[in-house]
Amino acid sequence: MDQKFEGTPKSALRLEGRKVTRTDVTNDWGLRLQWQVKRDGKVIATPAARIEADYTHPDKTPGKYEIVLQMWKYVNYRKNKQREFIDSKFIEISNTVSYTI
Amino acid sequence: MIHVGQAHVPLCDGVSRRSFLQAGATAMGLSLPMALELEAAGAVDPKRQKIKNCITLFLVGSPGHLDTWDMKPDAPADIRGKFKPISTAVPGVQICEHFPRMARMMDQVALIRSLHHNTGASHENGQRWMMTGHDFNAANIQPHMGSVVSRIYGQKTSLPASIVLPAKIGNTGTSTPHGQASGYLGTAHAPFFLGSDPAVKNFKVANLEPPKGQTEFRINSRRNLLKQLDSIQRKTETSSTIQRDTAYSRAFNLLTSPKTRKAFDPSQETDKLRDRYGRNTFGQSCLLARRLIENGSRFVTVNHFDTVFNVTCWDMHANGSSLDNTYLDYERHLCPQFDQAFTALIEDLQERGMLEDTVVTVLSEFGRTPKLNNRGGRDHYPPAWTNFFVGGGVKGGQVIGSTDKIGAAPHDRPVLPPEVVASVYTAMGIDLETTMMPGPGSRPVRFIEADPIQELFG
Repeated sequence: MDQKFEGTPKSALRLEGRKVTRTDVTNDWGLRLQWQVKRDGKVIATPAARIEADYTHPDKTPGKYEIVLQMWKYVNYRKNKQREFIDSKFIEISNTVSYTI
Repeated sequence: MIHVGQAHVPLCDGVSRRSFLQAGATAMGLSLPMALELEAAGAVDPKRQKIKNCITLFLVGSPGHLDTWDMKPDAPADIRGKFKPISTAVPGVQICEHFPRMARMMDQVALIRSLHHNTGASHENGQRWMMTGHDFNAANIQPHMGSVVSRIYGQKTSLPASIVLPAKIGNTGTSTPHGQASGYLGTAHAPFFLGSDPAVKNFKVANLEPPKGQTEFRINSRRNLLKQLDSIQRKTETSSTIQRDTAYSRAFNLLTSPKTRKAFDPSQETDKLRDRYGRNTFGQSCLLARRLIENGSRFVTVNHFDTVFNVTCWDMHANGSSLDNTYLDYERHLCPQFDQAFTALIEDLQERGMLEDTVVTVLSEFGRTPKLNNRGGRDHYPPAWTNFFVGGGVKGGQVIGSTDKIGAAPHDRPVLPPEVVASVYTAMGIDLETTMMPGPGSRPVRFIEADPIQELFG
């Protein structure tokens, strides 16, 4: 039986200072949920987001920070020779918030 | 042959005359008459009311114990693996970082870290052990735990006593029995296999409602016609066909019962609760398990996957082909999915006051090799693994047994699969000393040759 993941998960982010807070995820697929943190366009961290509804990135290196909530989207388990997924991937399920240090 | 569902059901000689009476209901209906033979076989005992139930989550493929519930952070890198342990609600007990919700409820969980068996390392060997408490071959099939419970306690409501969600285990490598049949107890006690996915958008009611053109009126008309035929041919029938007739009658009743349709309908729950379980096949099956227990089923098995080939599942060989699960599958899919659904189930049962009367077990076939293979995966390993119990009066917040420094073998309090199965029965209120089963040739037999794990019961 194929694993079914219908609908699309959604959440909304709010920023207060450097602390980002998420709403409950609707249509939650129950797979890995993570904050994707970028600085100046480069991904620098992907901490787990399942337990706590807020997150403050500890790094204060100057730059523009962008944070978005992601969830794993399972399509199939196929992987390439580098052992990375081919079709399954993380997708963004929220708005992006940003701040500058 | 009769059509109760999408498939044709071959019947024994003497009843194929009804092949034109196609109830034509649902995919799940394939198993309906067999499950409903239970009552005809005299298994119902309405006097037994206060009996505990069981939900078994069966992790097909089997998680690596060193990557989940028996971590060895001080072992060499090629043994301890990639994940880190986290603390739990029980001081001194750590589990994998990818089970953060479970870590918070460890005070309710009884981990058994010294499980092992000494027979073959196939998935089916482990399935037979953990679902029946026996190893056996196709010529001597031992009954599934749910079948034993069905035989001892019978049905409580119109729902079958034993139900398997979302589907029976299929191809896991060899063509030997999986342990999901009723064996010598007969088809009257066979588990009812849903065979459908409760996570699918249109799952609700559709699997229990007649297809287009099959109105309740038509079904009832066919039931009446069947009754007339029965009265004509009753004299020539055998006891076996009489059992089946009763089963068909119950199947018709189920198909037209609003209460039954409702029990099988997860959309009756709030979106928030459905999200809490996880909008996926396993999560919604766990939610459905709670609904079915709540509505009168006694033993619900949820199979986390029905195969190990070409799907994300616990069978982490990382072989680059049809068995290519890796740490990435564990981290992104399997551990979060299990953590979400399992903890939702426990919380939900607790909030409804059902946990004390429902023993929840999480079982698997074996552990995985302590040393990572050369592709970064782990292979089958029956000498050591971890399973656990929650609820049903079981004493939580404890670890029973342990393994050695590299998780290669039990270090103390070794536990064999029959002890786990005996513990399930004991937790459900079955007296192993006095309860006998009608074995081959109808002679009474003990149905499990093991003692329960006493530590579970305080």
